[in-house]
Amino acid sequence: MALEDYQGDMGMCCRCSACKFIPMQKVKGSEYSYACPSIAKYNFHAYSAGGRLNIAAAMLKNGFNYTDKLLDIVYNCQMCGACGVSCNYAMDMEVLEPISEFRLKCVEDGKTNPALDKVISGLRKQGSMVPAKGKRGDWAAGLNLKDATKEKVDVLYHVGCLTSYDKDMQKLAKATVKILQKAGVNFGIAGNAETCCGGRAYQMGYKEDFLNQAKKNMAMIKKAGIKTVVTGCADGYQAFKVLYDRFDLKGDLVVLHISEYIDKLIKDGKLKPRKKADISVTYHDPCRLGRLGEPWIHWKGKKIPGDRFVFDPPKPYRRGTNGVYEPPRDVIESVPGVKLTEMTRIKEYSWCCGAGGGVNESNPGFARWTAQKRIEEAVSTGAEAIVTACPLCEKTFNEAIKESGSSLKVYDIVELVEKAI
Amino acid sequence: MALSKEVYKEFEDMVGEENICNDPAIMPAYYSTDFAAVILPGNTAEVQAVVKLCNKHKLQFRPICTGWSGMFPKDIILLDLRRMNHIIEINEKNMYAVVEPYVISSELQAELFKRGLNFCIKGAGTNCSAMLRGHGHMDQTTSGDDRNHLAIEWITPEGNIVRSGALGSSDEWFCGDGPGPSLRSILTSAVPPGVTPGVFTKAAIKLYHWPGPSVYPIEGISPHYSLSEIPPNMMARYFSFPSVEKMWQAELKIGESEIAFELMGFNVSMVAANITTCNEEEEETFNRLNSEVQGPGFFVIIAGDSPSDFEYKKRVLEKIVSEADGKSLKAVEDPKIEGILMCQCTRISASIRETFRNGGAFNSIPIMGQRDLTIKWAIGAGKAKEPLIKDGYIVDDGGAFFGWGVEQGHLGKTEIFCKFDPANPEAKAAVEGWQKEQSMRAFKERYFASTMGPQDEIGPALLNYHLWWRKLTKALDPNGVSPEGGALV
Repeated sequence: MALEDYQGDMGMCCRCSACKFIPMQKVKGSEYSYACPSIAKYNFHAYSAGGRLNIAAAMLKNGFNYTDKLLDIVYNCQMCGACGVSCNYAMDMEVLEPISEFRLKCVEDGKTNPALDKVISGLRKQGSMVPAKGKRGDWAAGLNLKDATKEKVDVLYHVGCLTSYDKDMQKLAKATVKILQKAGVNFGIAGNAETCCGGRAYQMGYKEDFLNQAKKNMAMIKKAGIKTVVTGCADGYQAFKVLYDRFDLKGDLVVLHISEYIDKLIKDGKLKPRKKADISVTYHDPCRLGRLGEPWIHWKGKKIPGDRFVFDPPKPYRRGTNGVYEPPRDVIESVPGVKLTEMTRIKEYSWCCGAGGGVNESNPGFARWTAQKRIEEAVSTGAEAIVTACPLCEKTFNEAIKESGSSLKVYDIVELVEKAI
Repeated sequence: MALSKEVYKEFEDMVGEENICNDPAIMPAYYSTDFAAVILPGNTAEVQAVVKLCNKHKLQFRPICTGWSGMFPKDIILLDLRRMNHIIEINEKNMYAVVEPYVISSELQAELFKRGLNFCIKGAGTNCSAMLRGHGHMDQTTSGDDRNHLAIEWITPEGNIVRSGALGSSDEWFCGDGPGPSLRSILTSAVPPGVTPGVFTKAAIKLYHWPGPSVYPIEGISPHYSLSEIPPNMMARYFSFPSVEKMWQAELKIGESEIAFELMGFNVSMVAANITTCNEEEEETFNRLNSEVQGPGFFVIIAGDSPSDFEYKKRVLEKIVSEADGKSLKAVEDPKIEGILMCQCTRISASIRETFRNGGAFNSIPIMGQRDLTIKWAIGAGKAKEPLIKDGYIVDDGGAFFGWGVEQGHLGKTEIFCKFDPANPEAKAAVEGWQKEQSMRAFKERYFASTMGPQDEIGPALLNYHLWWRKLTKALDPNGVSPEGGALV
């Protein structure tokens, strides 16, 4: 699909501004009512989903006039998809897809963001979205883990770039290993052979780089005969499960996020969190595990001429309904002593951590601003800690907390479970 | 017309460089025209300063809030009021709330529900400004139109601050008519153009008692939201009747007995739109419900202040409906559907699913006045839709219209619209023709429709009000910087 293919969808935008807010019946007052970080920060309607669609439609009609402001609008979006959920409560139209296609077109036309170019350059050289110091599998030194590319395993644990290379985040990989070992799972890692999933490259607009990464990963997986992949980050989850499927690369690979897998292990009686934690927490839904983690729906059809925006065959929309919402909550609540209090913006209408879409690299100040809003929301629940299920969320929250001086603690779900087993 | 660097700098100095933009990239986000600049004022003082600058440089300006859309002349200064989004005060004792323009109705209503209060949510939806003048689902108990505005803070087209009503002589917002200047006819007029030049920067909104829960118990994941239980002492039903006359008699009695929290003269196509999550499901549901109703009907919410009050209201409702041979639509008796509709009508104000989802556009004719008379007009307008339905230009809703009582039926509103695909020029032309023809019919038959025609045509029938309006406008806006379009969109 290209931007042109979404002309009908863009034409359906009635400029109602619903995309700016969480679904109306979920608004609890004047605080935490916004869904879209970009419009909340930059205020001009152009930074909302509706504004983006109207701009894209106008440029398709009148020609693409790239200005610095236009690129500022294009790249100051976390691609978090909250806009689409709010719109699609009432409307039948694609929202995030044309926004994403607009960014892909910018990259195709060479209108890139220098900070993102640098990240992609690193990806092309090192197979990583974060600076790669040392080898990718160094974190596993001494753990004596199976090499999934050589040994027969039931599960490949795909660690992800940030967790592999960032010394502060490697604790998540080690916690995951401990959990899987405790549950007796026959798992392995790809170690130095692991490479980036490519998901964030796609978010940033670099489709070809995404496809290169996806093909490399799937070639390795097929060669090793791996049937199930468990990812430690939400970006990886969405890439393997949704994007690979979208581009017909996934095949019958089973993709699970670590929170889903732990939930399954607990429910199957293979893992029992026993140690009491005595902590009050709130849970942050990562965008790409939640609303954007719902399965891809393969569909082809034509608009039926006439009064309605309907298709033959009927078009099923991904409205965020089938994201992963309950498994992480069930895992958290399975830990004795943990009290879970929800924030206002949760599940399909969760507020983004701020790091998505390359914003962490292209505009770190905006990423931290977005994270800070989430920290304030978490603090308002009275929780001592915010639990998330993505290392990028954890990192961004910690940076915001460091800047603001908040005493809120941040944990990945695997850290919480590790303490309880 | 591009602003000179010097003039741009003058505006920039007023609001800060991050709050003004004249880059062509952002213009289509608002409207398909070139604005001289888009400015984001953050408070009354900034609005005033910007408006004074517009006068100094003879630049036209218009404010805008959440949308939906509007007609925007080329080269104007567009004031996007997004930053003015604060609830200034909720005065529980005197039952009013003071808001800035970009406070949306959903935000204010959520705060009010916590306090056992409510206000009139306009049909434009809870996604729109709480300051909007207009009508909505709950008019039966929250009134509508200009009756809900109390004191208003208004920047005139020349850039003066006018504080109307009680605010004109004190720092209180409790009354729109005094002690202080009452400018109700200018500020909140319903007569075409129905809008005020200048910019509203704050307004006090009248509040009403809310008998429902502080928060609706919503469950499910979007778009499948429903209520986990129907709140105590609340009930929603849809009744159809064998004839318009019977329906109207029931509506009248319900108003007289003051038992309904909401009475919305929905047709089943609107019921179907509200309870479904996509176009295909809506079409199928409409066809099914349409075969179950016996004729025209309405949707009612009963909300008791106590169990006994609720029982009383239910019994009265049953009696009235029974006497008019009304029949309850079984689908709405299902608590799941009942809850969805209850929430849609009170928390969403329904509008997007009803209007835009089908084809992307709709044209409407709203008629104010006594319901039994306006319904008669609407039946004709509905008949006139039939050829358009037959030709496939508009969505088949059975030629339906809708409407509701205001203040327990003391006033009323009836409305009818055509939903269509705006990308289809033939459909667009057919709908515009229908709207023009039926609006003119309304005018000739002495109904009041806000779409009924140019002021020069309707003015002579309305005491030549248009001549007075123009004199007023000229006096208020000697530099002609505030084009017709309104203080709030």
